[in-house]
Parts: sequence; structure tokens; C-alpha cells
Amino acid sequence: MLLDLEMLRIRFGAFSPVDQVTLSVDRGEILGIVGESGSGKSLTATAIMGLLPRIGGQIAAGNIRFDGTDLVGMPERQLRRLRGGRIALITQNPMTSLDSMMRIGPQIDQAARLHLGLSRSAARARSLELMADLRIPDPASVYDLFPHQLSGGMKQRIVIAMALAGDPELLIADEPTTALDVTVQAQIVQILVDLVRQRGLGLILITHDMGVVAQACDRVAVMYCGRVVELAQVDALFEHPRHPYTQALIRCIPRHDMAKGTMSAIPGVVPSAAAQPPGCRFNPRCALVADRCRVETPELRVGTSGNGVACHVAEAA
Amino acid sequence: MIGFTLRRLVLLLPVFLVVSLVVFFIIHLVPGDPIDNLLRAGSTPEQRLQIAAKYGLDRSLIEQYVTWMGRLLTGDLGTSIIQGRPVSALIARNLPYSLELGVAALLFSTLTGIAAGVIAASYQGTRVDDTITGFILLGSTVPSFWLGLMLILVFAVWLGWVPVSGARGWSSLILPVIAAGLGGIALVARVTRIAMIETSRQDFVMLLHAKGLPPFIIQLRHVLRHAMVPVVTILSLRIGWVLGGAVTIEYVFARPGLGSLLIRALNQRDYPLVQGCLLMLAMAVIIGALIGDIVQAAMDPRQREARA
Repeated sequence: MLLDLEMLRIRFGAFSPVDQVTLSVDRGEILGIVGESGSGKSLTATAIMGLLPRIGGQIAAGNIRFDGTDLVGMPERQLRRLRGGRIALITQNPMTSLDSMMRIGPQIDQAARLHLGLSRSAARARSLELMADLRIPDPASVYDLFPHQLSGGMKQRIVIAMALAGDPELLIADEPTTALDVTVQAQIVQILVDLVRQRGLGLILITHDMGVVAQACDRVAVMYCGRVVELAQVDALFEHPRHPYTQALIRCIPRHDMAKGTMSAIPGVVPSAAAQPPGCRFNPRCALVADRCRVETPELRVGTSGNGVACHVAEAA
Repeated sequence: MIGFTLRRLVLLLPVFLVVSLVVFFIIHLVPGDPIDNLLRAGSTPEQRLQIAAKYGLDRSLIEQYVTWMGRLLTGDLGTSIIQGRPVSALIARNLPYSLELGVAALLFSTLTGIAAGVIAASYQGTRVDDTITGFILLGSTVPSFWLGLMLILVFAVWLGWVPVSGARGWSSLILPVIAAGLGGIALVARVTRIAMIETSRQDFVMLLHAKGLPPFIIQLRHVLRHAMVPVVTILSLRIGWVLGGAVTIEYVFARPGLGSLLIRALNQRDYPLVQGCLLMLAMAVIIGALIGDIVQAAMDPRQREARA
């Protein structure tokens, strides 16, 4: 496995907004992490990048094994060598992810110069090549532009080019399409899928869009309230969702054959980290809730197939 | 960029007109007139009228303004009533001292202030930050004249390292620059610190960390550049202060300068000299703001484009 998260717990002061997260991704594989806002998807990504201390959090328990080495407790200096090098991040909002006062090109060059030790001109050549790979028209002139002179879709390609500049083995894309037009979304997802297939990268694709999951992912981790509630191959997940939350999420996908006015939603809201219900965290919103769910927290049991579910009801079925 | 600068220069004309009006009429609103200072005890009302007529003070204010403005457009600031010398000559003699102190104090407070702000922001929430923030508070509340007196007491009187007063050589400049610059350090440091902290919270800074760049590179090459935009704004407001803001410091250190010249002229109701000094200071403020605008536009690529 390229990346292995085992029983990861993230702590902010007295709260643990992410707990018992176990998931993995291999080279050439796309793992989707889905869930509503506040489910801990982005925090998990931040933890893998080793950037939790930047936002005031820390890893309280568990392991993050990257290519066999545990990143938890690794000195900052070593983490920095991985960051932007072997592990790269693509952020959610391309509008705010670039330095508005710096030209596009040098921003892409940075990682190559830092991690691959390239000279200014070699880094520039590499950046232009990456931009061409990402189907950015006329890379040489885009190289000298400022971020505000590009469209959102183009900026997101620049952010992807920045991530690729350090020649990563693992890419973490945190809602890379959320801020973009629908037509551009599909292009960006396709670019990411192609990168994985052509370069053999491992990709963690964080999204709340089940459509993106179906289009791109090999396997999926469904998160709710900081826990992985279901881990499954993408086909299995859509055909036989086992966790009631996964089932509800899939029911929420609008289809053209639905009668008008029948959009479905999950009743209730995600509880805050300070007000987690006892037992299964989904129990107040669950249609199949049993007495046991209100007391005992179900654990994610991953079978040899790599699939698993954290639900008393689903396990009994 | 050049078009933008030219447009701003043209806009200075109406501003100049309004400033000249305010400068002229505000001094005439003050009770008393310069003739009192020229008359000897026991003078007759006839002598008084004679002197008033000599300086054109018997005519209406409008007439006086038009005359003054007419001369001003030819570059003539008039003649000091009390000292009997051209106003421009008096200003020219005092200006170098003000410039020397003002520019040195501005440079000192800007560089020290930015450095302090960057350090405080980089160690936000630690004891280093607390210490600098404490000094900022102190610096913005301690009156500069009191600080000046204390500096004189310690470094000139007790230790004898520098002259007590005057304006001879660079050693006599050290204490005035520190005293005049302290408020500026506090202001620049405070604005730099806040701007750095706010910029650090932006998404692009997180992504720079995600690239694995060392924190000090991120702070100096990226965050500081963004943080300099508000700092330039407050600096541009202080450029005008460079010339006239150090009046109390000039007094404490018995230095010549525009500030002392203006205060003396005010006390004597020396209308032409007051008007000349005020006009100089007002123009310094306006030109400072203009320079600030231009620098800011040059720094931010978005503004550069919008104003091209």
C-alpha cells in the first residue's frame, strides 16, 4: 500500500472531530472520500499533509503510513521534504489558492526547484511541459500571467500543475471541482483520472459529489461525523450500499426519471463536534435505528475484500 | 501606469486651490495681527494705519487673497512681515533640518517597525509576540517630547555619548530620530503584524506550506509582500509628517526646522510666513499620498491593470 491510515484520531483542544479513521490507497488507485460538510474529510487530508499544527490541531492517536514509513511523529523537517514532493495537495478553491501578487510560472516552478533541485531554467521547462500536459493553451504566455488573468478552470489546472511539479506519488485532491462550473468540473476530474492511469499515482479524491465518485473512483470511504462508516469498491457501493447513511446519500442523487418535486434529503443536520450523540453518531438521523445503536458505537470491520461497514443493523443483516 | 500618474497630477490642481484658500483664511480667523508686533509702545493710530497700508493689510481679505495667489502663481511666497526677508528664503534655510530629521525618522521607524511586525507575526501567541506587542502599546502611548527629554537625560547628560541639543553632525541626530520615530515604529509594527497574520490565514499560504517551502521563505517572499499594501498606505500618510510632524522634537532638542519656524510665525501673526509654511506642509501631505497611491498600484498586479 502507498498510504495506510490506521485508527487515526485528530484532536483540537478537547474535541476529536476525526476518530478511528482507517483507510488506504495504492499506486494507480483512486480512493474517494465522501461525506457532508463537517464530516472530517478535509481534516483527514490536512493530517496526511502534516499541516494540522498550522490550524491548531494535532494527531492524538493512530498511524499514517506512507510507503511503509509512519508520518505521525516525524520531525517537521522531514515532513517538509515529503510535502509538495512525494505527497502533493490540490485545494478546493482555485480563486484563492494562488499568490495573487506573483506570476503563474514561478509558482509552479517552486516545488520542482525545492524537491527536485532543478535550476531556474530547468524548472521553467518542466513547468511549461506540465502545463501543456494539462491542456493549458499557450503555456509560454500563461507562464508570465498573474492569477487574476485566468479563469477558474485554468487556475485549477495551474494548481494541479503546481502539485505535479514536485513529481508526487500520492495526490490529495480536496474537493477540486466544488468551486468550478459544472462543464469544467468534468474536465478537471478527467484530468485527474488520466494522471492516475498514466503516471501510476495514488489519488485521494475528497468530494461531496456522488456523481464525481461514480465517474472517477475505484474505492470509496464514506465519512460521517469524523468516522469512516463504510469502505467499499465503487460498484458495490452504488449497487449494494450497506450503511443507512450511504443508502441515504445515494437516494439524494437526483435522477431524470424522478417525478418533479421529489428531491430527497437526509433529515436533520450533522451534529457539531461538541454535541456528538452517544452510540452510533448517525442514530438520530437514521431510518433503521435500533436500541443498540443509541448506546454502543459500531466499529468499522474491514474484511479481506477490503470492504467494511460500521453499522449494527447492516452487520446483523 | 504613466497615464494613471498624470491623471493624479492633474487632480492636484483643484486640491491645491482649496488648500490655498483654507491656509489663507484660517490664519486670518485668529485674533490679533502682525502690526502689534511691529509697533513700539506709545505709537499713534496713524502710525498703525501707515504700517497696515505698507503691507496691504488695510484692504479686504478677498483682495489680499487674490494678490497673494497672484504672486504665488509666479513662484513668489511673499516677504515675512516681522523678519523682513523673503518667505522662500526662510523656508529654504529651515527645510534641510526638517528633511534630515524627518527622512531619518521615517526610515528608522519604517525599517524597525516592519522588522518588529514580521517577527511578532511569525511568533504569534508566544512570549516574543507578547513582548513586541507590549512595546508597540508603550510606543504608541509614550509622548515623543517626554521620551526626548528622558533620552537627553540618560544619553546626553548622564552618559555624555551625544550632544544635548542643536543640529551639528550626525551624532546630534541620533536622539531626535529615536524620539520622533518611536510612534512610527509602533504604528508600522502594529499594521505589519496584523496584516501578516491575516494574510497567513489565506488559502494560498496553506498551499505554499503544502508545497514544502520553509516557513521563513513563505513569510518573507509571499506573506510580507501582501502585508506591505496596508503598510504603504499608512506610510504615505506619514510622508507629509516627515516635514512638519516633529515640531515638539525640534523644540525639545532646540533644532531649527519648519516646525519651529511655523510656530514662531504663528505667535507673531506673520501672515505670509504662516501661509508659506502651511502650504509647504499641506503639499507634502498631498504629494505623500500621491506617492503612496502610485507605489501601491505598482505593487498589486490587479490594481496595476485596472489603472493602466
